[in-house]
Amino acid sequence: MTVGPVRRDEATAAFFDGTARGELLLFRCPAGHFSPPYSQQCDTCASVDLTAVAASGGASVVSRSVAHRRGGHRDILVVAELDEGPWWWSKVIDVEPEQVVAGARLTVVVERADEESEAVPVFRLA
Amino acid sequence: MADRSAAIAGLGMTDLGKVYGRTAAQFAGDAVRLAVADAGLELGDVDGLLTSAGVSGGVGLALQRDLGLRDLRLLSEMQSYGSTAGQMVQYASLAIGAGMAETVACVFADAPLRQDTSTGAAYGARGAVGWRGLLGAAGIRDTNSMYALAAQRHMDTYGTTNDQLGHIAVGQRAWAELNPRAQMRTPMTLEDYHASRWIVEPFHLLDCCLVSNGGIAVVVTSAERAASLARPPVHVLGWGQAHPGHAQRRHEDFGLVSGAARSGPAALAMAGLTVSDVDVVELYDCYTFTVVITLEDYGFCPKGEGGRFVADGTLGPDGKLKVNTGGGQLSSSYMWGMTPLSEAVLQARGEAGRRQVPEHDVVLVSGNGGVLDHHSTLVLSPHGPAGRSSS
Ligand SMILES: [Zn+2]
Repeated sequence: MTVGPVRRDEATAAFFDGTARGELLLFRCPAGHFSPPYSQQCDTCASVDLTAVAASGGASVVSRSVAHRRGGHRDILVVAELDEGPWWWSKVIDVEPEQVVAGARLTVVVERADEESEAVPVFRLA
Repeated sequence: MADRSAAIAGLGMTDLGKVYGRTAAQFAGDAVRLAVADAGLELGDVDGLLTSAGVSGGVGLALQRDLGLRDLRLLSEMQSYGSTAGQMVQYASLAIGAGMAETVACVFADAPLRQDTSTGAAYGARGAVGWRGLLGAAGIRDTNSMYALAAQRHMDTYGTTNDQLGHIAVGQRAWAELNPRAQMRTPMTLEDYHASRWIVEPFHLLDCCLVSNGGIAVVVTSAERAASLARPPVHVLGWGQAHPGHAQRRHEDFGLVSGAARSGPAALAMAGLTVSDVDVVELYDCYTFTVVITLEDYGFCPKGEGGRFVADGTLGPDGKLKVNTGGGQLSSSYMWGMTPLSEAVLQARGEAGRRQVPEHDVVLVSGNGGVLDHHSTLVLSPHGPAGRSSS
């Protein structure tokens, strides 16, 4: 399984509506700053006038690690910097660990554990 | 003016580690009773209580009734994760300084280990709902993964290596061999470190703290009162906290700098000391990497040099700097911030047995919580503020 199951709650409903369309939603303020989708206010200028917008999908690796699971499976985990500025923590799929180095270019895609679950943003190498 | 400075007058430690059959609340009660008795006091002398629960919960306001404490002047549950223990001593010292309370018990207890489940399961279980669930669904399931991402950034940026992290694990195990309370006392080599299985790269099993059941409490009172009690007073000379509030965005120094960079200098300045005055260093060591970044941020070595610093004969009983002298969370036991604090009290008193550091006039203690999000520092000494200046 590429990603695990996850359910929405009130705080994540709009975000998962976005992932269902294949989008990773960010917030943009009137000054054009981007903030992560769980923000209450712009994390640059504190504006509460936030509009949800889809990220372009481009990102670069800030840091990476390799989680070793039972049965020999490995997950390549990253903190990635979206081209808009906010960071996103997720995994990189369909890749060998050696390919995921600091600064490597990534693209956002969404994966879903099963029909019941919400879609989860993950990365592939660009 | 009356000296309203504070001192730690009592220390209570239950059996720690794979100790079953008691709840966290029972461990907490045991620890407070032990700490009060250690100080030569009665429970009725306690007029303040601060509690801190671990992952298993169950330690809180009800402890007052469990201990039969009446007419308290200070009572609260506290939570800043691994920085809480140091913070409890800070708030107790402030309350004593203000005359709000006279004798404050501060306790942490946890019982995450069950006889029928793995240690990983003790800290791993999380429901897959909402933002937290999303993180887990994407593979970032636990604190190990988050600290691994912090550590790898430090390694990529400054050239820190696994070999260097291994020196921390090995050095602390050598200290643990001298600590009868330590959970892990079999000797460890650098080869053992490298051979231990990967958990989340760059962390091997031996980069990660233990999981422990038990409880630890300290009794904080006025230095004046402490002087007439059963144990040598451990004076609280300085303290600090830092909560960086990192944003998740471009240019953040996540993994490179922690709250220790502000908290440490603030605590030492309050004590009128500098890092070169420190004799014993008891650091929060949830991972080997946490030791590296804290040593750098406290100023024991330049930023980015922590890896080379610890690999250069610095650590262990024969090392140049006396760090985590009880074995720490890596080799002794994991009682959150009470692990470094309890060892600091023993060292400052001169009661650390075979691992006692001969020079122990200034003991620096760190607490760290979240993923390098919350930091607390204490400067402790067997000498009071006045006695130190005349020595
Ligand atoms: Zn803005």
